[in-house]
Amino acid sequence: MFIDVACSQKKKYNQNAYGDYFASNRFPNMNRVVAVLSDGLGSGIKANILACMTSTMLLKFMENHFDIEKSCEIIMNSLPVCKVRGISYSTFSAIDCFDDGKAKIVEEGNPDFIWIRNGEVLKPEYQTIQSKDFKNRRMKVYNIQLEKYDRIIFCSDGATQVAMGTKKYPLGLERNGLIKIILNKLEQDSEISSKNLSEYLVKQIELIAPNRELKDDTSILSIYCRDPRESLIFTGPPFHGEKDNYYAKTFMEFKGKKAISGGTTANIISRELNIPVIAKLSTNSGKLPGLSEMRGVDLVTEGILTLTKTLEYLENGKPEENAAKILMDFLLDSDVINFLVGAQMNKAHYDPNLPIEIELRKNIIKQMAKVLEEKYLKKVNVQFV
Amino acid sequence: MAKVTVKVCLGTTCFVMGGNNLQELNDIIPEKYGDKVEVMGSNCLGLCSINWEYSKAPYVKVDEEVVTEATVEKVLEVIDKKLA
Repeated sequence: MFIDVACSQKKKYNQNAYGDYFASNRFPNMNRVVAVLSDGLGSGIKANILACMTSTMLLKFMENHFDIEKSCEIIMNSLPVCKVRGISYSTFSAIDCFDDGKAKIVEEGNPDFIWIRNGEVLKPEYQTIQSKDFKNRRMKVYNIQLEKYDRIIFCSDGATQVAMGTKKYPLGLERNGLIKIILNKLEQDSEISSKNLSEYLVKQIELIAPNRELKDDTSILSIYCRDPRESLIFTGPPFHGEKDNYYAKTFMEFKGKKAISGGTTANIISRELNIPVIAKLSTNSGKLPGLSEMRGVDLVTEGILTLTKTLEYLENGKPEENAAKILMDFLLDSDVINFLVGAQMNKAHYDPNLPIEIELRKNIIKQMAKVLEEKYLKKVNVQFV
Repeated sequence: MAKVTVKVCLGTTCFVMGGNNLQELNDIIPEKYGDKVEVMGSNCLGLCSINWEYSKAPYVKVDEEVVTEATVEKVLEVIDKKLA
């Protein structure tokens, strides 16, 4: 199960800083994701500082399984005190969730989260923890078990209190109003991604606000338990030529999205499975060879040059329009990325007379896997064959 | 008369050794020869890794004839000979 996490936010009207703050971290090797949404007291920069401090501190505490009660006391004691109100305050919702569905949720002050399964809203049990130092602060702690296709929606009170005081919404949209919008959307599009759902909800809330002017910062944090989007990239001829057929078949039978990075690799698969591969000549592909086409394969690129450029784009994020950018988008669109790396070398690539230095495929893939894991939080498997 | 087929190798070695510029043939050939000559790209033709031809990239195949250290001019010359 893959936990799809996304947050969408809108500022209070006429403010230039967000008063809500979202932070999250994914640990692909532990199959774990942690996310925090905080709403700072007031709005603008002051709220932004409070919310940012709360989110980032809480994220670190939760990541390290620090006692939640103690963490919150530390946070509340560390927040700067508002000059106007004489208090320091920020609310939060936090979730620590594993791929097997085990999740711990802690809430303080934010509207209760919404848990949806099969179009129904569930009512989980919780434990209340009273703060020792702060009388009015109570935390709700939930230990729940998520199932595939479950959704969790967290929001700041900007979302539930939108349009408060109007004839149509005397008490604002409220939690039930928000639930209605969510269920309606899910009925139309049951597989909507967390990103699209959170963006849609924030947009709807903005449309409800009188004159489209939000009176408070508004955030929606959406969590969706779904099948991971898997992809397989086959690059380089296998070291043992007699196994070409086996690997070609393994590649073609893969259920997710498939890419080949390497002309010779594409030729091998073409030969073994008798599927033609067509290299396209193109004068506007920039400094990289263009794409090829092969039935049943989503993307076919040249190998080393394209991979080298893709790695560069992944590291510094300034892609040009070419095959490497297409390969980068292909990678970033996946949750789990599998590399099948053939270890056979083409001697001609290491001729010192070549005008540019060609890197070892193995090294490029190793570096690429590292960047994808650390910077883009992807789960990466590399198999050398 | 049978069509002449031109295959430009777009393998990594050929591409960095000048194959990139050979992609111009895609525009030049139809303009010059109309439908008498067909031009297409190809993944690595495997010629760079054969010892006797080592380091003579980029390669272009005009029908079965291999053009080594190919340039646009060299390829057009071979086509002209074929058509003569």
